[in-house]
Order: sequence, then C-alpha cells, then structure tokens
Amino acid sequence: MTEQGSKVRVVVLGGGTAGWMTAASLIRLLPDTASVDLIESEDIGIVGVGEATLPHIRGFVEKLGIDEAAFMKATHATFKLGIDFRDFGRIGESYIHPFGSFGEEVAGIGFHHYWLELQRQGRAAPLGDYSLAVAAARANRFAPPAQDHTLASTYGYAYQFDATLFGPFMREFACRHGVTRHEGLVVDVERDGASGDVAALLLADGRRIEGDLFVDCSGFRSLLLGQALGEEWEDWTHWLPCDRAAAMPCTHETQDIRPFTIATAMPAGWRWQIPLQHRMGNGYVFSSAHISEDEACAAIKAAAEGEPLAEPRILKFRPGRRKHSWSHNVVAVGLASGFLEPLESTSIYLAQMAITYLIELFPDQGGIDPRDVAEFNRLVDVEYDRVRDFLILHYNATTRDDSEFWNHVRTMQVPDTLADKLELWRKAARIEKYADGLFFDASWIAVYVGQGLLPERHDARVALADPVRVAGALERLRGAIAAEVAAMPGHLEYLRGEAGRLAPEDALAA
Amino acid sequence: MNPVSLSVPRERLRTICIAGSGQVGVIAALALKRALPDAQVIVIGLADDPTAYADTASTALPFTNKLHDRLGLSEDELIRRAGASHRLITRYAGWAGEGADAVGAVPYGAPADTQARARFAREWGGGSRGALAAPGSRLPATSLPQVLAEAGRFAVPPGDMPTPLDEVDYALRWNSPAYRDILIERAQQAGVIYLPGPIQGHEPDGKGGIAAIGVDGQGPIAADLFVDCSGPAARLISAMPGAQWEDWGDVLPVRRILHARPGQAMLALEDRFTLTRQGWLMEQAGRDGLHMALGLAPQMGEQDAVQVMTQTLGAQPARLVEVAPGCHRESWLGNVVALGDAAAWFEPLAHLNLDLAHRQLALLLEMLPGLAIEPLERAEFNRRAHLMAVQVRDTLATHYAAPRARSIFGEAPLPEGLDRVIDQYTRRGRLPHREEAALLAAEYMALLDALGLPGAVPVSARATASAESAAALRAFEEQAQRALAFAPPYAQFMQQMLAAGAAPAPV
Repeated sequence: MTEQGSKVRVVVLGGGTAGWMTAASLIRLLPDTASVDLIESEDIGIVGVGEATLPHIRGFVEKLGIDEAAFMKATHATFKLGIDFRDFGRIGESYIHPFGSFGEEVAGIGFHHYWLELQRQGRAAPLGDYSLAVAAARANRFAPPAQDHTLASTYGYAYQFDATLFGPFMREFACRHGVTRHEGLVVDVERDGASGDVAALLLADGRRIEGDLFVDCSGFRSLLLGQALGEEWEDWTHWLPCDRAAAMPCTHETQDIRPFTIATAMPAGWRWQIPLQHRMGNGYVFSSAHISEDEACAAIKAAAEGEPLAEPRILKFRPGRRKHSWSHNVVAVGLASGFLEPLESTSIYLAQMAITYLIELFPDQGGIDPRDVAEFNRLVDVEYDRVRDFLILHYNATTRDDSEFWNHVRTMQVPDTLADKLELWRKAARIEKYADGLFFDASWIAVYVGQGLLPERHDARVALADPVRVAGALERLRGAIAAEVAAMPGHLEYLRGEAGRLAPEDALAA
Repeated sequence: MNPVSLSVPRERLRTICIAGSGQVGVIAALALKRALPDAQVIVIGLADDPTAYADTASTALPFTNKLHDRLGLSEDELIRRAGASHRLITRYAGWAGEGADAVGAVPYGAPADTQARARFAREWGGGSRGALAAPGSRLPATSLPQVLAEAGRFAVPPGDMPTPLDEVDYALRWNSPAYRDILIERAQQAGVIYLPGPIQGHEPDGKGGIAAIGVDGQGPIAADLFVDCSGPAARLISAMPGAQWEDWGDVLPVRRILHARPGQAMLALEDRFTLTRQGWLMEQAGRDGLHMALGLAPQMGEQDAVQVMTQTLGAQPARLVEVAPGCHRESWLGNVVALGDAAAWFEPLAHLNLDLAHRQLALLLEMLPGLAIEPLERAEFNRRAHLMAVQVRDTLATHYAAPRARSIFGEAPLPEGLDRVIDQYTRRGRLPHREEAALLAAEYMALLDALGLPGAVPVSARATASAESAAALRAFEEQAQRALAFAPPYAQFMQQMLAAGAAPAPV
C-alpha cells in the first residue's frame, strides 16, 4: 500500500460534466496513485454540454464499473443510433449519420463505389437503406447490437441523456469512491515563484487548497490555464462561426421516442432535438454575427416541438482550443481546453479523450515529465484538428444560398487539410485513411453523400462487375436490413420493456 | 435547382507494364491482372539481383497469407509445391542479456485477451491505440504461439469449425525459386504477358511520367501505368523528375550482410535473430535448408566474418550483400509506382522486406487509379506508402536502439519520433499509436521486451488486483493445455498435408 502522503494530490476546479468525469475517473482508476479534491460553487452555473453522446461513452461507463442500466435510469437516458441532419446540403433534404457502416467492401473495393455505380444506372436506393443503424433509426426501432460478425453487429449506439443529471450522478459516484468536494468560489491562484507552477487555490472564505496537479474544468473562463497561466487560445471562429446557443427544454410531443438526434439547419446555424425519457431537449446553435440573441430565442420558441418547460437560456462559446492543454502542473479538460460546437456530439468525447490520456500520462514518481506533457498536447491536438475538419465539412458542403450565414460558410476558405480531403473525394471518391482519432470512412461518406457532394468519378473496376449481380446483392442486403429492423422492437417499446432497469418510475408511462 | 450530376466510373487502365520479374514483379502482375482482367499486363524480365531483398526473401509476415488468399494462392499448394512451412514466433537471443533467460519471443497476432483489451481501448478512448492494449500489465510472459513452438506442435486450423488454435497467427516461409514458379504459372494462366529485358531508357510522357520504355529487341513498350519492381536499381522511379532518395544510413548501421549457403533442411516453428559480437545472426529454418546470414557490425572485417561463419557457425559463406538503406520519399511519381526494393531497400532483419512490398501492393490495389491519374490520389498513396516505409525503418532502428545492441553497432541516433515511442513504452508502459505500423501493437511490444527495452507497468495498472491477474494466468494455462492437446506434432501435420495432397513430386 502506498501511504496517503505519497499520493499525487489532484485538485479539480469545476463541478460540471468535465470536472466530475475527471474526478470520478482519477479516483476510480488511480486509487493508489492519486488523491482527488474538487472545488465547485453553487453560484456558478454549468453549461452541461452534450446531451447527446458518441458510442465511446459506453466504454467510459463500463471502465469505471458503472452499471449501464443504473446510469441510464439516473440520467433519463435514451438510446442513440446516429444524427439526422436536415436541410444542411439543401432545404428539404435529410440524411442520417449513423453509428455504423454502409454495406461491405467487395473484392477490395469500398461499398460506396458500387452504390455510386448503381445510382448512375438508376438502380440504387438511398445510401441509408444499406445501413442497419440508419434503417432502424428511420423506423424508430432499437435493439442492442449483436456481438458476432452478423449483420446485427454492424452498428453501435450511444446515449441521449440529461446533462444536468449526468453531473450529479458522477458527483455521487466520485464522492462515494473518495473524492473530497469543496463548495466555494476560487478568488486567487497561488503560484510558485520559481517554477511558475500553481501551488494552491484560495477560496473566498479563506480556505487554501493545495495540490500537486490541477485540472482546470472551469469551463470557458479557464481560470487556471487561460487566466492564471495565460495559455494562448487558437480561435476557429472563421471556420465555425456559431458562438451561441439558445437552449430550451420542452415536453415530448409525440408518444414515440426517436433513437436518434435531429440537427436541422437554420438560417444562422442549426437547431438540435434530443429526445430524453421525460422531455425533449431543444436548442438553436447560432452565429451572433448573423442574428441577435432575441431573434434566436424567438426562432427556437417557434420551431420547438412540444410545450416549453422553461424560457430559452443563452449559452456563449468560442470555437477553438488552447495552444497547449497541459502547461506547468495545470491540465485543462473540457471547455477550458477547447470547444467544438455540438454538431456531432463530440463535447463529452473530447473530455473523455483528455481524461484517458491524462491517466496514461499521469505524473509518476518524480513529478511531471516534460515528455509526457508534450505527448499529451500532441495527442489532444490531433483529436481536435480531425474533429474540426469534419465539422467544417457540414457547413461547407452545401448548396444553400438563402442567408448570409450559409453564403459565408459555403464560400469560405477551408483548412488545407480539409480542402485536400474534399478534392480527393470529388475526383476519385476516396477517403483519406487513418486509424487514430474520430470519424472514419463511413462517417465521411455519410456526410458527403447526405449533403449532395457526389464525386465526379468512382473506381474504374466497378464497371467490370455484372450490374445485375451487383444490383441483386445490394437488394438482398437491403432486404436483410429491412427484415432485421422489422424484428426489432420500437425504441419506446424497448425502453418500456426494460423500464424496471432503465427508467425512473413513471418516466416512460404510456 | 441544380441537377445532380451523377458520378461515373473512371476509365480503366488499358496497359500496365511491370519492370522486373522477381517474386515482387510477378505477384504485382498477377494481382493487377486479376483486378483489371481486360487490361494488358506486361512483365519485363530483368536479371535477378541478389541484393534485392524483397525479391529474394523466402518468408514474409502474416499479412502475406491474406494477400495469397485474395489472389487464389492456396497454402496447401505452397506447402506441396514450394516447400512452405510455418513460423509462429521469432526468437531474439542475446539482445536483452546473456543466457537462456534473456531469450525473448515475438509471437504473431494479438492474443485474445489483448484483442479484447484493444477493443475496449477503442471504445474507451477512440482510435486503435496500443497504449491501452496492454493495460493491466505487460503482455503475459508466455503466449500461445510460444507454447506451441516450444512443444513443436501445430496444425493449421481447418477453418470450418472452432478449434483451440484459431487465434494463432503465423508467417510462411518457402523455397523462393519454387514460389516464384507458382506465381509465374498463375500469371501466365491469367494472361500476363512476359517480355525479356533489359530496359534501355524511356520516353517521358510530358506529365512527369513515362510514355514508353525501350526494351531490347522489342522496341518501345507503351503503357498507362508502370510498376517499378526492378529492385534497388529502381530503374524507372529513380529516373523520374522529382525522385528523392531518403537515406536511412545515419540510423541503420548495418551495410554488409554475409549470407551462408543453405544448411540442412529443418522443420521448425520458430526462427531466430541472435545478437553476437560480430553483428546480428539470422537463422531461418526451411524445408529447403537452414538459411543463415550475418548482418555485420560496422567495425567488423569481412575476413573475420567469413571466419566466424565457417568456424563458429559451421556454414559456408555464399555471398556478401552490400546495402545502402533508404526509401524513395515518393514511390509514385507521374505514372510510375515503385514496389519492393525499388521503393525501400534495407537489410532482412525481422523479415520485413517482402511484407512491406506486399502491403504497398495492397495499397496500390486499394487505390488503383483510372486512366487519368489524380494528383491527390497519388499524394494519398505516397503519404501512406511513406508511412509504411518509415515504420519499417523505425522497427529496424528499434533493434539498434537496445542497450546491448548499441555496444555492438554503435550509438546511431534514433529516427525522429522513435525516441518518443521507446520513451513512452519503457517509462510509461504505453505504446503511442503508430499509423501504418509494420507490426501490431502486441507484436511490437513483445519485440521491445525481447530486445531489452522492457515496458514499464502503466500507472493505471498498479491498482489491478492480483486476483485478477492470477485468474487471467489460470485461464491462459487452460487455453494452452487445450491447444497442446489439439495440435499434433508439427512434423506429423506436415506429413499429413503432403500425403493428402497427392502432390506431384517436388522437383
């Protein structure tokens, strides 16, 4: 056993989603190495990012030893198979970006090349018909994926949950496992004169919390990394102009619960609809350069499904990231480190990713090694940059010319890294390949095709295949998917069937 | 509204010309002909180059088995007609220390628990990073392939039913001339055309590529795509404008490799690389004989090496190969794609030569261009092909980074990035993700351990309960017992294979 005194004293600043995720992970996964104190203030609201998540969250829950059902019950969670993007490429069109694949490659050639060829011949169904996740989502059905290599294993799922309940759930879990919580406002940051490291945080009531490592989860204010250490911010507003959200919860309007999130393009951004067990999350993510807050609030009130449960609340943010997320003995996780708008539900993923790397590179005996700091910052950068390009694609790949906002994003100069990807797709229907990071081939294809960005040419070899046989094979796949979906229960039906495990009493009452 | 213009298939390549008729050129021709049956695929025969390691290799890595499957080359046939045998592990002796305890084993594939952990790591962290692939811990001291190799038992699982050997991956070795004969036969059956060389110059196409090459007695041979499989001479790619050779000489110290005449035939499930005072010693078992080679340390004199080979190793020196390791920065220029030694030339340490050639061929098949080559697809191919080459360089350099190896080969600087990988593994027990890596994360970690660069215990593994580890060890032991009970002695399996085939007598 390590003595208490020899543990690394971690102080987490901020009791939002990122703060409690960090505290819970460190105490659970480094119980002999770290002690964890968390400072939060009831006077500071939380942004509560990410009601919708990515499938990675399941690994997080599992790794911490949290029972999935208990987690879903506590956060009123529903299942999520993907995101339905509406009006992005063109008003009136929609597509689902699924947590799953489209068909399979044949003879070493990607499925989408065959699909493009059939489409040319007028024999193809919409691309989504060849994805089990899309078909199930369209039918409002859900069943957990199979673990074998059958068709039923070709998708994943995430959760849509109430972020205001997720934080408290993680808090309870973290405190139960030994995190010490301090209620109070930080008024000063004490730094070591020689090293520049943060030595302690001073609270308004005079308490002084010392630590060896400080995790800045103070949100956009970034009290430690941004304010105290002055770590530079790289601004991405020119590519991702949305900088506000007007959020408004509503009642469920329908008796069905969709197993997917809807993102609908709006004149100055887009709005989300995230179905939870007990209500519907709504919000308008917009560019304040293009419309006012009042206009955005009015727009979300007019557009939202169901009865409003509260007045719209304005959240402000800035897309971009700190040049370094780890500096001295301060590591930023969550919004204090960077922000990418929630178009692809990446906020919680990005926090989770930073926590994973922090644990792998956690200061060992002998303190913080600059090589580990450099490695952490390198890893975080790769993740942010790849997600960034994928988000920009959603705005840039459009024919919309109905507002100043869409005119801007349609014609803006995109990062070179994205420009090359677009050109490779246009000319040869190919996707730049990497095995690290987020969003692989299927995701890029879903957005390209879904937003009407078709390539000019596809693989020469598909023309060699017998078109009747190819059409037959695709039709069989489509039929098998339809049959698989038909055998799934409805999403609400599934939730109700498992309500004893997954839902608080009455949340899913008929 | 704009009408949606539909994507059309690209026009196909009509003629592909492959320079070089070694096993790389011929398999490339076969693969391309199968991909484009209506194209004319021409192989230009060039004289064998004994320094072309991808062409003379008599073994590869597990990836090649998949490529063979794709090309319809059955393993049975390679066993019956090309003297093929199976390698489950590579032994590293003398690298981590003296004596039997310091002999490390590098098995193929990722053991089941490692795979489960890797899957978990992906879900937990995104991406296929090796870092969490071995949380818990270091890899188990033993692996299933090692258990089998030590017992001399193995059989290729039949594939139509689950067996305790399903997770065991392996590499094949073969008799190189016999293997190439099979490839030639297949290529001829597929309609590949053969023209004897040599090549005398080329006509540029005005677009940074080649319109036609001159072939002795044949006149100019025009083609849409040229594949340079001409070995280290890199006849075509090196003549392209913009060709850039990346010299690996500063990080890879070995320049001379002394090969022995094949020794006695030997059936074994493992091969070996031993660190000696003279350099590294390769011992590769084969049904056609034991193949030995000595990669000479820089200070080693040739006469001394010959003496060591004859007197200490009891083998007859056959040839001394001099290599200048490096790669083409871009292996696709204009309409010329280089594969094998024409793309990257390096010593046969760790059996990577043909594996790289085959993986780059698979990349070409994946990204097969149309008649009009798009600059960005060429750039994407070059990006990935170069990553593959650089990963090979780093895997080789890892051998020379180990402390004992440095005392023999000298203190060569580490390639950029490799120091970070080794530092992270030895200090933190995590393996950073390496895009297009030559070895799987589990394999590379085993290699690092075997070379004397052992991984640290990750900080998150310190809390792992010993009961959990004990249970994992018990489960492994049971798995090993089941595998041993199922697998026949390897020689017996081989006899059965040969008998069942009713094969034509080997020539």
